[in-house]
Amino acid sequence: MIEVSALTRRFGGTPALASVSLTIPRGGVYGLVGANGAGKTTLIKHILGLFRAESGSVRVFGLDPVAEPIAVLSRIGYLSEENDIPGWMRVDELIRYSRAFYPAWDDAYAEELRDAFALDPGAKVRTLSKGQKARAGLLLALAHRPELLVLDEPSSGLDPIVRRDILGAILRTIAGEGRTVLFSSHLLEEVEQVADHVTMIREGKIVLSAPLDTLRQTHGGASLAEIFVAHVGTPAPSAADV
Amino acid sequence: MRSPAAAIAWEFHRPHRWALVALAGYLLVVGIVKLLVFGPAPVSLDPPDAIAALGVVPFTVTFFYLLALFSFGLTGDLAGRQSIFPSRLFTLPVPTTALAGWPMLYGAASMASLWLVAALLARWPWGLDLPFIWPAFLAAAFLAWTQVLAWMPYGVSGLRVIATVLWLIALDAIVILAVHYEASEPLMVAFLAPQLPLAYLAARVAVARARRGDAPDWRGSWARRGRLTGVVPPQREFSSPARAQLWFEWRRHGRTLPVLVGMLLPFELGLLFIPGNETPAVVFKTLAAVLVTPVVMAGFVAATVSTSNPHARDTYGVAPFLATRPSTSAALIAAKLKMAIWSTLATWLLVLVAIVVTLALSGTWPVAIDRVGRFSEAVGTPRVIVAALLGFAWLLTSTWKQLVRSLYIGLTGREWIIKTSGFLALVLLLIMLPTIEWIGETKRVQAALWDAWPLISAVLVAVKMTAAAWIATALYAHRLLSDRTLLIGTAGWMIAVLALYGVLVWWVSTPFIPRYLLAMIAILAVPLARLSAAPLALDWNRHR
Repeated sequence: MIEVSALTRRFGGTPALASVSLTIPRGGVYGLVGANGAGKTTLIKHILGLFRAESGSVRVFGLDPVAEPIAVLSRIGYLSEENDIPGWMRVDELIRYSRAFYPAWDDAYAEELRDAFALDPGAKVRTLSKGQKARAGLLLALAHRPELLVLDEPSSGLDPIVRRDILGAILRTIAGEGRTVLFSSHLLEEVEQVADHVTMIREGKIVLSAPLDTLRQTHGGASLAEIFVAHVGTPAPSAADV
Repeated sequence: MRSPAAAIAWEFHRPHRWALVALAGYLLVVGIVKLLVFGPAPVSLDPPDAIAALGVVPFTVTFFYLLALFSFGLTGDLAGRQSIFPSRLFTLPVPTTALAGWPMLYGAASMASLWLVAALLARWPWGLDLPFIWPAFLAAAFLAWTQVLAWMPYGVSGLRVIATVLWLIALDAIVILAVHYEASEPLMVAFLAPQLPLAYLAARVAVARARRGDAPDWRGSWARRGRLTGVVPPQREFSSPARAQLWFEWRRHGRTLPVLVGMLLPFELGLLFIPGNETPAVVFKTLAAVLVTPVVMAGFVAATVSTSNPHARDTYGVAPFLATRPSTSAALIAAKLKMAIWSTLATWLLVLVAIVVTLALSGTWPVAIDRVGRFSEAVGTPRVIVAALLGFAWLLTSTWKQLVRSLYIGLTGREWIIKTSGFLALVLLLIMLPTIEWIGETKRVQAALWDAWPLISAVLVAVKMTAAAWIATALYAHRLLSDRTLLIGTAGWMIAVLALYGVLVWWVSTPFIPRYLLAMIAILAVPLARLSAAPLALDWNRHR
């Protein structure tokens, strides 16, 4: 589903990604973990086609996301920490606007999510709380039943109830046959709850990538936080810290 | 800093100190140039000549900048319900009287100082004798009431803009009338000076309400009323992504131009209701100013059309919400171009209706009809009709062109390109004003320009076509436009050029202007290169 090969990216003189190679097959939840500034968002932006590969290549569904944005983006649901949904839109306008872009948009599912998230259709996005905005973003990311759900630090700074909604959404998404979730976070407890496969990234390099069960076995049953400290070198914050 | 007053002063001063130094340096240079090149003779303000404009323009820009700065309009949401007074200041251990008072005091002092500096410079080296005291009070009162209206919480979104514009129009109208009837300085001071304490009291109430979160909310009752009376129509789904994106662009940018022009029209057309202004000269000058207004305002609005989301972390770049739309960059540009068409049409509909209503109500219809009749007798009715249609078409296309001409700059999303381009445009404008005046006054230069005009046109055409060819190659190479779209676009451009050339040949039937020159004018007039570069700019921005 995702093929990243020898991807390198520099911002000025600072390397953000250094010859990163990664393969994500169809199905399952892939956790991308690393400290702040490790290169998680840069990698995700390449997968979405928001960054053009300086060297190396990125293929999503076998396509170049920069050259074929419609074919790639219409099959991806995306939610980021930087939730920049236009504040002037009402929730119902946001849903109406977004559904026009996705042939697979499921009205019944969108309505079900709106009800579950208690989003007032007449409310302006700018009047929503941070948690409500995250829920609105999650609705947009899920309502077209994407083949690939990309979540970039989605629960950063959110309360436990919204974090539970997001984790629930991940579980619902993978319940659909053949769907894939790429979940970036520095909250290892969350990743540990839902991920089948974990990739650790440090200073733009992938330092570890393996199924979570395998990681636990090879590290003598250690928790993901302990494995993270062993490979990345810095303790990760817990959900209680944020 | 040992006091809140000093801290608030520092907050205003710190980010803007270099701009103030640059303004002072600029005025010094213009003053020296004026004295060395143009001599000590006084400049003309009515109408302003080029050297006067060199001084008036930066002072006007600074005036509006200070207005926005001290009312916190640079950072607040003007259209929102909540007060735009920064909420981070509410938690400071400072009484509300000080929170409202210090920004008002600093603002009033800055505005008054700006006028005093302008009036001093007007005396020397400009050679103009302007009043000192009452305009300083006017500037301070203008700001003080803007602060009140900006800091007040409102019941519905958008009410702040309407209230501010109406109040400032009223204040401005009083002053215009006072100038018109030559009111004495003591009378003006007596009218304006009490405005400052009154505004302070109102501002203190506004900040106090905002500080305790006391914002009225009329949205619920309006929505209920709308539902009851069936005013709010049921929303329909968009039939395509293109329609959805057009709606998005219209809601973001489409209404700005009609609203801005709509706010200016009462000032301009209101002149025709003043007794003594029904002469043909005044009527046609006023109508000319009104007809030029949408084109000029479109130039200002253009800067906002290329912005994606002012609330995003990177205000110059494409917001991720937009960048991750499953849509091509060309489709996103097409929505902007269509929105510009609708915005242009809405603006001109408003202008035409306003002109017709004003001419009818002010009793100046006969003046306009008489002049059109005389023109018709002189050149023939068909030519008058064609001239009117061509003139209107030119105004429409010019407005649209102004709206979209800078997309290729703004959509690059690179701050250095946008700021350099703005700086160069300003420099060019400042150089052009005296140059145009110099050309207008020098017959020798006019003759040389007339002789060189074919060569100048040929060079411009060569530059335009070379740029267009390079852009078309890049569009093809990046697969941003399909082969069919490229072919249709090229054919459409050629048809537009040929049509314009045909009209020019028919209209300008004089042996003094050769036909190849008309062809080059047609090529230069129909937009091509800069417009075609917009998808490239967005693509460069969207896929960094």
